[in-house]
Amino acid sequence: MRLEKVGKHLVISRGTELLRVPAERLIYIAADGNYSYVVTQDGRKAMVSFQLGQIEDMIDEQLGEAGSRFSRMGRGLIINMDYVYSIDISKQTVVLSDCLHFRHELSASREVLIKLKAYIDAMTQNYDG
Amino acid sequence: MTDNKTNIQDDEFRVLGHRQEKPVEPELTPTPRKWAGLVSLLLILVIGLLIYFNWPKGEDPEIDPGVFDPAPVKLDPETEKLPLGSIPDSLGTVVVERIDTTINDVQLSLYIPHNATTRLTVGAPDAETRKAILAFQAADIRADNRQILGAFVLKGKPLAWGLSKKGYCAIIDGQMTIGVAENSPLFEEATEKEGYFFRQYGLVDNGKLVENEPKNKTMRKALCDRAGQIFVAVSQTDESMHDFAQALVDLGVDNAIYLVGSHSAFGWWRNEAGETEFFSQDKHRASFRNESYIVWE
Repeated sequence: MRLEKVGKHLVISRGTELLRVPAERLIYIAADGNYSYVVTQDGRKAMVSFQLGQIEDMIDEQLGEAGSRFSRMGRGLIINMDYVYSIDISKQTVVLSDCLHFRHELSASREVLIKLKAYIDAMTQNYDG
Repeated sequence: MTDNKTNIQDDEFRVLGHRQEKPVEPELTPTPRKWAGLVSLLLILVIGLLIYFNWPKGEDPEIDPGVFDPAPVKLDPETEKLPLGSIPDSLGTVVVERIDTTINDVQLSLYIPHNATTRLTVGAPDAETRKAILAFQAADIRADNRQILGAFVLKGKPLAWGLSKKGYCAIIDGQMTIGVAENSPLFEEATEKEGYFFRQYGLVDNGKLVENEPKNKTMRKALCDRAGQIFVAVSQTDESMHDFAQALVDLGVDNAIYLVGSHSAFGWWRNEAGETEFFSQDKHRASFRNESYIVWE
C-alpha cells in the first residue's frame, strides 16, 4: 500500500510494529538509552526501539521542509518548536504547551536553551520584518 | 545514521528537516520484460474470473469482516444521542488523567476520570469510599445548623430541599448532568430512579459566565462539562470566583458548577503511580457529619 500523505506523518517502523504520527501532533521525543519515547498531543508516550539520532534521520528524510518545526536539543531531546510556550534559561527549562490540553516542562542545558531562544527570536523578527 | 548525529553534545542545537525529502522513484517506461509480466498477470486474472463464474453456487459462507474492511456498526438510537464519554466503559481501566494548563494567568489542573462511575456520599469517607480514584466535597453546609445547603438527593432519598444556589449536578442511571437553573426536573427524577442530586454555585451556563457573590480569593474547584466530557478543574493559585469562571469559559467549558473550595476542603486523586494525593493541606482533619462528596470509582 502506498501512503500518499506520508510527508505529513512521521512513520517509525521496525519488525512487526509501526508507529505513524501526524507531525503536528508530535510534541517531543526523548532519548532513553537505546530507546526513545515519542510523546503526542493526546498524552500518549510511545516507546520505540530507535535512538534519537535515527529518529532525527527519519524526520529529515520523511518530513523534509515540514520537519523544520523540530529541533534537536542536545543528546536527549527533539522538540516541536511550534509548542514552545516558555523558556527559562536560569532554571534550564523549556515548557511545551498548546495552552489548552497539555503542558510539559522539560530540562535542557543552558547553552541549548540560549540557542533555542535566539532561533525563535530570529524567526519572530523575520516574520515581523 | 551519520556520526554527526550519534556524537552530538549536550550543548548542541540544530533545526531538523533541511535534508531533501527522498525523491519519488520516477515511473519507468515498461520494458519488454515488464510487458511479459503484465500479460501473465492478465491471463491469471481472466482464468480466475472464469473459475469464479462457473463455480457451483451454494450457501454463502459467513465471512468475517477483515480489519481493513470493517462492517458498519449500528448503534442503539438512545446511545447514539449521548455525547462521547458520558457512558463509562466498564471494561476499561479506571484512571484519572491530570492535565495542567494556564488560561489568562490562571493556573489550572484538570482531573479527567476515565471509565469510572460516579456517586455522592454523605459523612466522613469510609473505607470503601477511600478506594475512589477521585473525590471532592460537593455541597456546602449551613453555618447555623450544619445541614446540607440546597436540594440534595442521595441514592433516591432526598436529604435536603431548597434553592440557595442555582447550579446543580444530577447523576441518574450513571449519567451526569451539570447545569444552572432555579428549577430542575432532575431533582424529582433522581428521587424516582435512585439517583443523586446536589446544588452549588453555577459558574458557566451554556458557555456564558455566571457571576456570584463571593469576592475573596482562594483555591477554586469546579465540576465541568465540555462537549460531554466531565472533569474537575482546580486552580493552583488563589483566584476570585469571577476570574476562575472566566478561565473555564475561555477553556471552552459548556457548563460548570462550583465545588467546595478553599485550602481546607478535603479531597484526593489517585495518580498514575497509584499513589493518593490530597487537595487539602490537612488530610486528617475531622469531618462534619453532613459533609458530602462526589466520588469516581
